[in-house]
Amino acid sequence: MIAFEGVFHRFGAVQALEDVTFAVPTGTLCVVLGESGSGKSTLLRTVNRLVEPAAGRVLLGGKDVAGADPQALRRGIGYVIQSVGLFPHRSVAGNIATVPRLLGWDRARTEARTDALLEMVGLDPATFRDRRPATLSGGQAQRVGLARALAADPPVLLMDEPFSALDPGTRRGLQAALRRIHAGTGKTILLVTHDLEEALALAGRIAVMAQGRLAAEGTPAAVLGPGAPEPLRRMIRPGTLALHRLAALPAAGAAAEGPAPGAPALPPGATLADALLLMLDRGADRLSFAGNPGRHLGMAAILRAAAP
Amino acid sequence: MRRRATLLALEALAFLAALWAAPRAGALWHALFPEVARPTYLQDPWFALLGSHLALSLGAVAIAAAIGLPAGILATRPGGRRLRPVLDAAFSLAQGLPPVAAIALALPLLGFGTAPTLLALVLYAALPFLRAAVSGLEAVPPAALDAATGLGMSPWQRLWEVELPLARPVLLSGLRLAVTLSVATTAVGAVAGAPCLGTPIVTGLANANPSYVLQGALFTAWLALLLDRALALLAAPLAPGEAP
Amino acid sequence: MRAGEPAPGPPGPALPALAPLALAAGLAPLLLGWIAVAPNRLLSPRPAALAETGPVLLAWALFHAALLALLLAAWRPRPNWLPEGAAVLAILALAATVGLGTAAGLPPGAAAARAAPAAGAWVALLALALATAAASALRGGTPAIPLLAALLGIGALGAAGLLDSLSLVREAQGRAADLRAALAGHLALSAAALLLALLAALPLAALSLSRPRLEAAFLGAASGIQVIPSIALFGLLIAPLAALASAFPGLRAAGLGGIGPAPAVIGIAAYLVLPLGRGVLSGLRVASADLVEAARGQGLSPGQALWQLRLPLGAGVMLGALRLAAVQAIGLATLAALVGGGGLGAVVFQGIGQLASDLILLGVLPILALSLAADAGIALLARVAPGGS
Repeated sequence: MIAFEGVFHRFGAVQALEDVTFAVPTGTLCVVLGESGSGKSTLLRTVNRLVEPAAGRVLLGGKDVAGADPQALRRGIGYVIQSVGLFPHRSVAGNIATVPRLLGWDRARTEARTDALLEMVGLDPATFRDRRPATLSGGQAQRVGLARALAADPPVLLMDEPFSALDPGTRRGLQAALRRIHAGTGKTILLVTHDLEEALALAGRIAVMAQGRLAAEGTPAAVLGPGAPEPLRRMIRPGTLALHRLAALPAAGAAAEGPAPGAPALPPGATLADALLLMLDRGADRLSFAGNPGRHLGMAAILRAAAP
Repeated sequence: MRRRATLLALEALAFLAALWAAPRAGALWHALFPEVARPTYLQDPWFALLGSHLALSLGAVAIAAAIGLPAGILATRPGGRRLRPVLDAAFSLAQGLPPVAAIALALPLLGFGTAPTLLALVLYAALPFLRAAVSGLEAVPPAALDAATGLGMSPWQRLWEVELPLARPVLLSGLRLAVTLSVATTAVGAVAGAPCLGTPIVTGLANANPSYVLQGALFTAWLALLLDRALALLAAPLAPGEAP
Repeated sequence: MRAGEPAPGPPGPALPALAPLALAAGLAPLLLGWIAVAPNRLLSPRPAALAETGPVLLAWALFHAALLALLLAAWRPRPNWLPEGAAVLAILALAATVGLGTAAGLPPGAAAARAAPAAGAWVALLALALATAAASALRGGTPAIPLLAALLGIGALGAAGLLDSLSLVREAQGRAADLRAALAGHLALSAAALLLALLAALPLAALSLSRPRLEAAFLGAASGIQVIPSIALFGLLIAPLAALASAFPGLRAAGLGGIGPAPAVIGIAAYLVLPLGRGVLSGLRVASADLVEAARGQGLSPGQALWQLRLPLGAGVMLGALRLAAVQAIGLATLAALVGGGGLGAVVFQGIGQLASDLILLGVLPILALSLAADAGIALLARVAPGGS
């Protein structure tokens, strides 16, 4: 859906992007992970042409974005930023209706869509429809920001550190909401963050950026695998790479045939890290799968998966 | 708010009634100024003076807005930002020059009458608009602008839908200031021959007629206060955070 | 000339702001003329050519050199006072060119002939004044200071006799005594009004510090007065003051009558109460409540807290308000002449009455100079004060 081909960009003397090439398949939630100054936000902004690359191409749906009218392009892409940027002089409903208004939707259609979106992001329409942005908490504001981005049902969503300004509890709530929305709508989402945990919580694919270059790209497990690049290792506490790798791997994938009667049960969707922690907690070296009695998980399998 | 509006409307009616009554209140003026031979101002109809005062001040404000607002908008665009120092310098210079001096300087160029006052008025009233436009537009949260661009608004749409509505309270206070300045400067324009509510004041001072001076001053001050309160009422319910 | 300067900007792209002004200053005299001459008082001045004597050419060359320096300085402002310095130099060279050009250009022995700067010179002067103020602001300085320097420089040129052929200067020399009296009167009016306003505002502000209702009433009334046109306020004060003077003849003897300086001084003071009151309150509040409480906790009495803490910390803000009020006072005093208060306004009104631009200028220019002097003077004072700008 989105493809970067040899993208270069400079800001003054700084090489912000250097020869970045990778693709985001349709329907994926791809996280661009990197520290400050790695170029991740710059890369994101080349997709909706808030940044025009000095060299290289950015393709959206197979077409070069440089050939499209910028405003029309942006109206077809959802955009969420860290500071939310709600319009203080409009109500929540007015904010959400921004792009539909620009596209000329009629009132009935817009209102129906607004209510549906508020439900989708977890806000009660009746309560929030007419509220002013100044009266919203940080988490509520960003939910409205998300709804606003989704208003015209764009196939692609760009998110620039959307949850970084929120406290951890609120952040987790919004990450869950985003996962739900992604699962329900199948949109292509490109999300920028500096938080590895957030990347692991959300990503279907991860692209690691460092100093303007693409350091690694692939599924979380692959990126955290034996070939994990130096920039990524720098983002985690030394010695915890294995643990993070385990957190990216579903426990079901390392299951062996055969029952393990009496062993503690892993809930569905558990990762190998959850499994390890459960083993430590119960003092067991075998686990069973809740809902799948014919399979079990042994410590050896975990050690194999964690092997650097 | 509605109550204040009603009170204001009543006061305006009282003002007009007083204007009507002034030439007919000879007894009052004689009583207040027994030593003055002709205390009742009859040289110009008061309503005519009010009319030309309003026409001059408000006309100048309209022209000033047409100059000051676009200039302020330009000064906050990426290209126009370099003009800022010059604009600030112009403000500084203008503040050291009293309006009567500006009228006086325009006089040799434009002769007696309304013209020099109009010129001075437009120049002075443009400044509050310019300043209000610049400070109002600069106070728009950058995040809102970034989001507006990212969502697909063109620069014009951004200005119209986001920047100007958010700057509106500041713009309205600029309007209020411009009107106050304009009404006051128009009154001074009477010395240069502009017909207005200041004319009786100037005539009275020239002819040692304190009754004329009092009447002119009274109505001039009252008009200024009425207009200021009317504009305050206009600006009040449109603060951000309230329903438009 | 406002209280509070903008933060100093980085040296660099001042060019876009200053270049058009420098160009305008260079082109205007070419297109609109340097000087204008009228053979007698009745005819209007016509643009005339500059005489090509040595001194004139020198001044002319200096003017253009200064403009070039301004353009260059705008491109690379090193040292950072260079743009302002170049602009001020250009103004002085402009004045010298005009002054010397008229001296040489007048037909000899034409006593009734009048020479004045032409429109081109005025436009150039305005452009250079804007450039000076803009350059000063870009550097983070006070625009009033270089402008005052330029004005004083022109004064020096005048004292040296370079400007003697200008009708303006001749008029000034003829009316020297009147002008001096008007200037003194103007200063007296402004100072008296400032003093009166301070006497009213200081105690009220100090009392309002911890009484929000008093503060609201005080500032509300002071704000209400700002809306009243000054000519109207002066006019309204005449009748009551006249009545007071007839009731208490001693007042009239002391000069406090209906017509005279009294309505003007009281009227101007009324307008100054707001900026002064606000300034004193803000200044006293620069020392936060926590700071004062900590000081009191260490044993300072309220009076000591005032002298040793609030006043020093608030001095900058208060001086800023004083500056604003002083400039306002000087401007408002112009109208005092209408109600018989004298001052430079009297010269301006004489000029209006005779439609004589020279007389008008003779009134306006000193008012401008006084404003600049007050602005610059108090700004310099504020720099020396602790916690100042």
